[in-house]
Amino acid sequence: MVDDELLGTHRQELRRGTLVLASLLALRAPEYGYALLKRLEIAGLPSDGNTIYPLLRRLEERGLLVSEWNTDDTRPRKFYRTSPAGDELAKQLMTDMTELTASLRALNGGPDR
Amino acid sequence: MTSLTERYLAAALRGIPEAQRADVERELRSSIADAVEDRLTAGEDRAEAETAVLEGLGDPVRLAAGLAGRPLYLIGPGLFVEYRQLLIMLLSVVIPIVGIVLAGVSLWGGEDLVGAIVDGVGGAWNTAIHLAFWVTVAFVLVERVDAMREARDEITGAHGHWTVDRLPALPASRVTAGETVGEVVTTLISIGGILFLNGASWFRDASGDVIGLFNPEVWGFWMPVLIAVLVAIAGLQIVIFLVGRWTIPLAFANTALQVAFTAPFAALALSGSLFNPEFADALGWPPLADGNGPVTLSIVAGAVLVTIWEIFDGFRRARRADTTIAGIGAPGKAL
Repeated sequence: MVDDELLGTHRQELRRGTLVLASLLALRAPEYGYALLKRLEIAGLPSDGNTIYPLLRRLEERGLLVSEWNTDDTRPRKFYRTSPAGDELAKQLMTDMTELTASLRALNGGPDR
Repeated sequence: MTSLTERYLAAALRGIPEAQRADVERELRSSIADAVEDRLTAGEDRAEAETAVLEGLGDPVRLAAGLAGRPLYLIGPGLFVEYRQLLIMLLSVVIPIVGIVLAGVSLWGGEDLVGAIVDGVGGAWNTAIHLAFWVTVAFVLVERVDAMREARDEITGAHGHWTVDRLPALPASRVTAGETVGEVVTTLISIGGILFLNGASWFRDASGDVIGLFNPEVWGFWMPVLIAVLVAIAGLQIVIFLVGRWTIPLAFANTALQVAFTAPFAALALSGSLFNPEFADALGWPPLADGNGPVTLSIVAGAVLVTIWEIFDGFRRARRADTTIAGIGAPGKAL
């Protein structure tokens, strides 16, 4: 039986590595920070505000996301959308992710099993 | 919004550069409001919901550091190795030079030997503090000031990629003959020095007898004991050479002998009975024989530091020898 704390730590680490990719994929449809958080949670990739909000700013700074304030709603919200460069990166990372999964699957079903 | 959220925002925004502040505030405010609203819909009361949301966001200082892309450390892993190397190099080269030069200047200016050593050690200590402080400040600035990003990249880049050429040599665990001769000679010089210092005719009393440096009462019993301990230390060095390397039992024996020398020596010095008061008077500087005088305290401090180092060094070398033998393939463990 794996220790819960250990499992939690490694799970979090594994997910953190995919958070950029998940955000870039999700934000191909514009969304504000809190809504993205909810969306990721529903998709099975729960995260925290103190991770997502800094991440969104970092990705925007690097030109992978573009943002726009929307003041039509009940309160002003900053909407983020994946830029063409972000979309390009997401495609490559997605390919890598597929390959990684295949590699892990091969290891898991390798000759020792 | 209630005061809790206002206080949270104020605490977080303090760490955000002016240019981004308004934007970050607007986004954080609406994010918090959205999250609180969600919890209200789920049936929580307002105060409870707000507390849960703010606590979920965590320490505002940490959040601000993340939002502003500022590190939460003084010197990060990218610069740490260079920082440590530079500091060690500077300290080990500059400090001894400063100490010796200051002591020399002081001696030349008419200070006696002990006073000169005190000046040298004091000056070296001050220089070390300054050096460490300013080097650290410089590295912290390079790490944290955006305008210095280029300098940071240059420092990291100049160091370049690590190659096997930079591997340190395997620690020599075997005690060499040269090393042993050196240690034994040093110990014998100490014994000779004690005898010489006491017997040299610096001053003579009225009847023409030599006034010894050390207190005659102490000289009669304690000096032979201390000298015997020094002889035993020299003997131990030879034993270590015959064994071939330091071991833990040898390190313990070394500890016992070191303590057997330094403990009585320090006790005698501190009680004021190490130096001969007559000698101090003849020298024209009575504080020399004073148990709480600067000379005594410096000598005791020096002796204690050297002893601690000798004891530590024995165990370090014993452990290093153990690991080198146990794991030739893993010399990294030796440190």
